[in-house]
Amino acid sequence: MTQSIVRRAILLFASSLLIACTAATGAGGSPPPAPSGGAVITAQGIAFDRQQLEVPADRPFQLLFENREGAPHNVTIFDEAGQPLFVGEIFGGPGSRTYDVPAIPAGAHQFRCDVHPEMAGTVTAKS
Amino acid sequence: MSTLNTAERIQPRLDSTTILLRSVVVGLTLVTATIHAQLGGLMFMANAIGYTTLALAMVAPGPIGQVRWLVRIGLIGFAAATIGGWLLFGARFPLAYVDKAVEVVLIAAVTVELWRSDGGPLGVVRQARGLVGRLAGHIGGTPTARAAR
Repeated sequence: MTQSIVRRAILLFASSLLIACTAATGAGGSPPPAPSGGAVITAQGIAFDRQQLEVPADRPFQLLFENREGAPHNVTIFDEAGQPLFVGEIFGGPGSRTYDVPAIPAGAHQFRCDVHPEMAGTVTAKS
Repeated sequence: MSTLNTAERIQPRLDSTTILLRSVVVGLTLVTATIHAQLGGLMFMANAIGYTTLALAMVAPGPIGQVRWLVRIGLIGFAAATIGGWLLFGARFPLAYVDKAVEVVLIAAVTVELWRSDGGPLGVVRQARGLVGRLAGHIGGTPTARAAR
């Protein structure tokens, strides 16, 4: 009797889980405009909308990050040695954060989401 | 213990404490499954499916009920591996800490159930030896199977 109730509860839970996962796709639409002198990037469907970012070198800039889904994401930028140059706040969407990124040296650097390392790309800092 | 017949040893009586403990284990397993499912991505979804499968196996009747001790060991190992993976590679954010707390309590609850239902590590070893013996017997009359009988 009790096991039967528990089994039914699990089946109900599994169905809800499936519905929740398929429904968590977030809103679409064009990305918001980049802050002046900065950059913009969007996360949706466990992916960034771009794998290349261009930012100014050797001076602080703003990075507008829009998370369009429930899953938590962030943007972290690494140097060539794999040390983080900047770690953005992890947050669940839909929502956005304007990251104040400190000056990073000129060149190509890797960026990724810390929660989903498969979400990655290259940020190019130009003088 | 020696007065118990085989069926009683394999499937302990479901008293109220056992039912409560089992409910806590299944509930915590489904909570961490939900958290992982909400994180999205292939790895987290695989983890959520793993936890949900183990939650089902914790209440499934029939042949699975006869190897519940193995399901408990699997659940402890799965949760421990998930915590280990997070310690090594995981991102640090509030929901992750909540999930790890759930998994630590889950391991503790399953360990208590393992002690009550299976007699602790020695009981598990005895059941494992019994299972190996039965499997060997099915394969066909090996010396190991004969010894187990």
